[in-house]
Amino acid sequence: MLPGFGYARPRNLREAVHLLSAPGARVQAGGTDLLGCLRDGVFGVDTVVSLSGVPDLRGIRRALDGGLVVGAMTTLSEVAAPTDVVKGYPTLAQGAAAAASPQLRNQGTIGGNICQRPRCWYFRGDFHCARKGGEKCFAAEGENQFHCIFGGDVCFIVHPSDTAPALVALEAVVRITGPNGSRSVPAEKFFILPETDYTRENVLTAGEIVTEIVLPPQPAGTRGTYRKVRARGSWDFALAGAAVVATITAGKVERARIVLSGVAPTPWRVPDAERAIVGRRLNKRTVRDAAAAALKGAQTMSGNAYKVELLRGTVEEALLALA
Amino acid sequence: MKTPKLYFVDGAVPESPAPTDTPAPWTETRVVGKSLPRVDAYDRLSGTAVYPSDVVLPDMLYAAVLRCPHANARVRKVDGSLVERMPGVRAVITGDSKAADLRWYYTRTVFTKLFDPTCRFEGEAVAAVAAETPQQAWDAVRAITVEYEVFPFVADERKALEPGAPAVHDGGNRVGEPEKYQRGDVVKGFAEADKVLEASYRTAAEFHTPMELHGCVARWDGKRLTLWDSTQGVYGVQQRVASLLEMPLANVRVIGSYMGGGFGSKLQADKYNLIAAVLAKLTARPVKLFLTREETFLCVGNRPPAGMRLKAGVKNDGTLTAFDLTVLGTGGAYPTGGTGLVDWLVRDLYTCPNVRTEATDVYINGGPSRPMRAPGHPQGAWALEQMMDALAEAIGMDPVQLRLKNVPTVSQANEGQPPYTTTGLRQCLTEGAKAFGWDAVRRRSKGDGPVKRGVGVAAGLWIAGDGGPPATVIVKLFPDGSANLNMGASDIGTGTKTVMAMVVAEELGVPLEQIQIENADTGTTEYATASGGSKTVPTEAPAVRSAALAVKRQLFELAAEELKVPANQLYIEGDAVVSTKDPKVTKKIAALQGLRRRGLLIGVGTRGPNIEGKVINPFVAQFCEVEVDTRTGEVEVLRFLSANDSGRVMNRLTYENQVIGGITMGIGLALTEQRVFDRQTGKVVNRNWHDYKIPTAMDVPADMTSLPIDVPDPEANTTGAKGLGEPVTIPTAAAVANAVYDAVGVRVTESPISPMRLIGLIAARGKRG
Repeated sequence: MLPGFGYARPRNLREAVHLLSAPGARVQAGGTDLLGCLRDGVFGVDTVVSLSGVPDLRGIRRALDGGLVVGAMTTLSEVAAPTDVVKGYPTLAQGAAAAASPQLRNQGTIGGNICQRPRCWYFRGDFHCARKGGEKCFAAEGENQFHCIFGGDVCFIVHPSDTAPALVALEAVVRITGPNGSRSVPAEKFFILPETDYTRENVLTAGEIVTEIVLPPQPAGTRGTYRKVRARGSWDFALAGAAVVATITAGKVERARIVLSGVAPTPWRVPDAERAIVGRRLNKRTVRDAAAAALKGAQTMSGNAYKVELLRGTVEEALLALA
Repeated sequence: MKTPKLYFVDGAVPESPAPTDTPAPWTETRVVGKSLPRVDAYDRLSGTAVYPSDVVLPDMLYAAVLRCPHANARVRKVDGSLVERMPGVRAVITGDSKAADLRWYYTRTVFTKLFDPTCRFEGEAVAAVAAETPQQAWDAVRAITVEYEVFPFVADERKALEPGAPAVHDGGNRVGEPEKYQRGDVVKGFAEADKVLEASYRTAAEFHTPMELHGCVARWDGKRLTLWDSTQGVYGVQQRVASLLEMPLANVRVIGSYMGGGFGSKLQADKYNLIAAVLAKLTARPVKLFLTREETFLCVGNRPPAGMRLKAGVKNDGTLTAFDLTVLGTGGAYPTGGTGLVDWLVRDLYTCPNVRTEATDVYINGGPSRPMRAPGHPQGAWALEQMMDALAEAIGMDPVQLRLKNVPTVSQANEGQPPYTTTGLRQCLTEGAKAFGWDAVRRRSKGDGPVKRGVGVAAGLWIAGDGGPPATVIVKLFPDGSANLNMGASDIGTGTKTVMAMVVAEELGVPLEQIQIENADTGTTEYATASGGSKTVPTEAPAVRSAALAVKRQLFELAAEELKVPANQLYIEGDAVVSTKDPKVTKKIAALQGLRRRGLLIGVGTRGPNIEGKVINPFVAQFCEVEVDTRTGEVEVLRFLSANDSGRVMNRLTYENQVIGGITMGIGLALTEQRVFDRQTGKVVNRNWHDYKIPTAMDVPADMTSLPIDVPDPEANTTGAKGLGEPVTIPTAAAVANAVYDAVGVRVTESPISPMRLIGLIAARGKRG
């Protein structure tokens, strides 16, 4: 049952920021994650501030530099639709298409997707866990088959987004507006690990809203893909995933970014794996090396050791898809 | 031993009025067997069908239940006094309330208080509130203060018998003496075998999680109580509620004409029936109490987990020599049958002279189980059918051939080894294999790359599916030739109403759209047992036929006078009565003066007894093809074929619906579904539709084929139909497991075959491509 709350539908960004600066205010984009969290009592709320009345937050346009600007209120369906995103940024389009279910993609937004709260069943459930201000992470000694093998500390969530790894791989920039004006943060710096703050998943502070995502133009010969493995064919989060963007010239990888989903509290970039393919051809051997490099440093718990082997396969398949 | 009586009373059931004769089996049918859409499809799809959860009454209050958040606790103190003054709150009941001082029976003999201080599982009811809005009810429930004494718990049946395990009940965690069965001599049987294999298997606990939530609306009119209940059987709910509230049956009316699925979890009354009734009485207002989705994962049943160790012996020619099965299971915190029927297929499916089974049922601090679509059988099939596959491989025989070699003609597990009326297993296997192209696909390459293909087969029978008395049905014929069908049975989504109307149409020639159907209302419809056990068609359809025939007899008597033709020389053609001797001697039903003057013909039909000395069971064989990605452990089910012997096909379309639904549910058991308890608290962590993963459209193949072995069983009943709804899900998961083995050579003995489980096994066995 949803708690009682006030509802505001501001007409411009300034008003939205103002309303969201109040304690207990929660931003609503598509609302697919927010309403679930409120219903489950994950956090409290005084006022839901809807962005649906704020103009210019929805839609995809061409940037002056040839890149794309994706409004934060653009739905996942629109991001995944066969348009400029698919042509220029298949990694992102595939990530959006792999998220949730058709109904949720029609309602959920790209901004909301990267800001959604973790799906950890302790965080969402009737457990006063560390991320909710409690004493401990229940996953550490509990049912942790869906939890992280990288970057865990105090809390062991995985980041739930399928579009976030693509954005990091594409070197996207997140534009934010808040009480102190606007700022731009590279997607790679947008997400934060539990060691920085285990109660938040990103750099947003009170009153700040993601307004746009800027995708830089990609060099000629750039290819991309997103491979996601899940326990169920739809409406399920990644057990492991790999977003890859690589520029391939004359058969050789010139530059590459490999970012993992489902294995860490943030989209998890694996520079060692990237180095393993740069300057080389994508073949079975290099791909195997890259996958092995991606696994370095994995720390497993009682129930998630399978993720190491799963990730190896996922990275291999993602890279081979680009070969 | 005798087949356990499921769903029915023991002893002979008197029929009144006495049946005049047993009608001959249908030869050719005009309506029955066709592929017809549901008679209520429009109502269901347009929203005009009123389900119990749709019921809104004037002045209705909403109730919510406070449930114990601990796996094992005692309520020391519960204080609802402040809550009573909260906005909109009209009543609060707790274990201290006189109005709620009622017993609740978890089994026929085991009872607690309705709000018992001893909470043996998370989700046990502690208090309840009725308020003007659902929000106010929930606000109030959250504000009730409870002091719990929290105890250690046991949530894993494998640990329940360990020394020092917390005792769920005084006296320990054994539900009773292990259930044992034996025929022949297994030691001798294993000695005679050329190959003996032994393996452990486990199926995870599953939840029913039907579309419509569990709950009811209660309203009192003076001393009479009406419940609109989402139930599979209105009469069972009426009896339980009347008995617990010490009321005459006549004063408890239960209505469940529409209901949105149950899968066995709504075969019985629930605490919510009593809570709603008590709150409605206290407030003198109607009260609606529907559980939340999350609550339904805790306290309205589950398919118990089954741990199985199976040893099997086979001769090189495929003759089975012995089965030895031990089962460990749990029905949760009360003795609700944690191991029931898990061993039945091992006892009965294949010819085997030497069989021993032993089942140990234990308590855990988990929600009590309830029957779930073919109780025990999919679990047993998971072990037996994987073992049959392994045996076939061990002796170098095709798995279909091994099964064919051991098709039984008698029910070995029943006392006296009586024959089955019909055994379609052989045809299911042979015709199924042919339609699937089994021989060719078995020989095909598994694939050179990392993605491997495989095929699997599994078979089954369902212990029930025979149906039987009691059932009473009334059919009325109006003077214009249209009809009314009145029966107590619930249509739990299977198309019961449609099939029954087709029986009326078959006998009386009335078009389906001219048959009004009243069902599942103890106030206005006839007696029926709950819809479950795949017995609704074989139970109700003969009673409907009998009622329709009773009308037909009267109609022919009236027509005989007017047409001057003996009544036994008449038949119905379209909307007219016709002479068998001269088709020109005919009169439209609507033109019969006698019928017009009479105003209505009434036929009462009952369900006669089943044949003595024979066993009526449906049989099934399923075939599937899968693709396994050996780098990720992902399994994609590419196609499925289900060959079913369920006797006569009553409606080809609803038949196919059942097959597709059963396969879908079985794929859930095979690949995605499992209850997960938090080991630290004993709480269920996946109590929602995201974390508890029922299959989506993306998890089932578009290519699902239903192949009916359409051989009416005239000895089963007067319609020749046997049950279908449960057999269709019995072998599914095992067939998937066998196909995965065929693809990658990895035997997954524990369900579900998730990527999490399979990738580890593939890597450990060096099967990565």
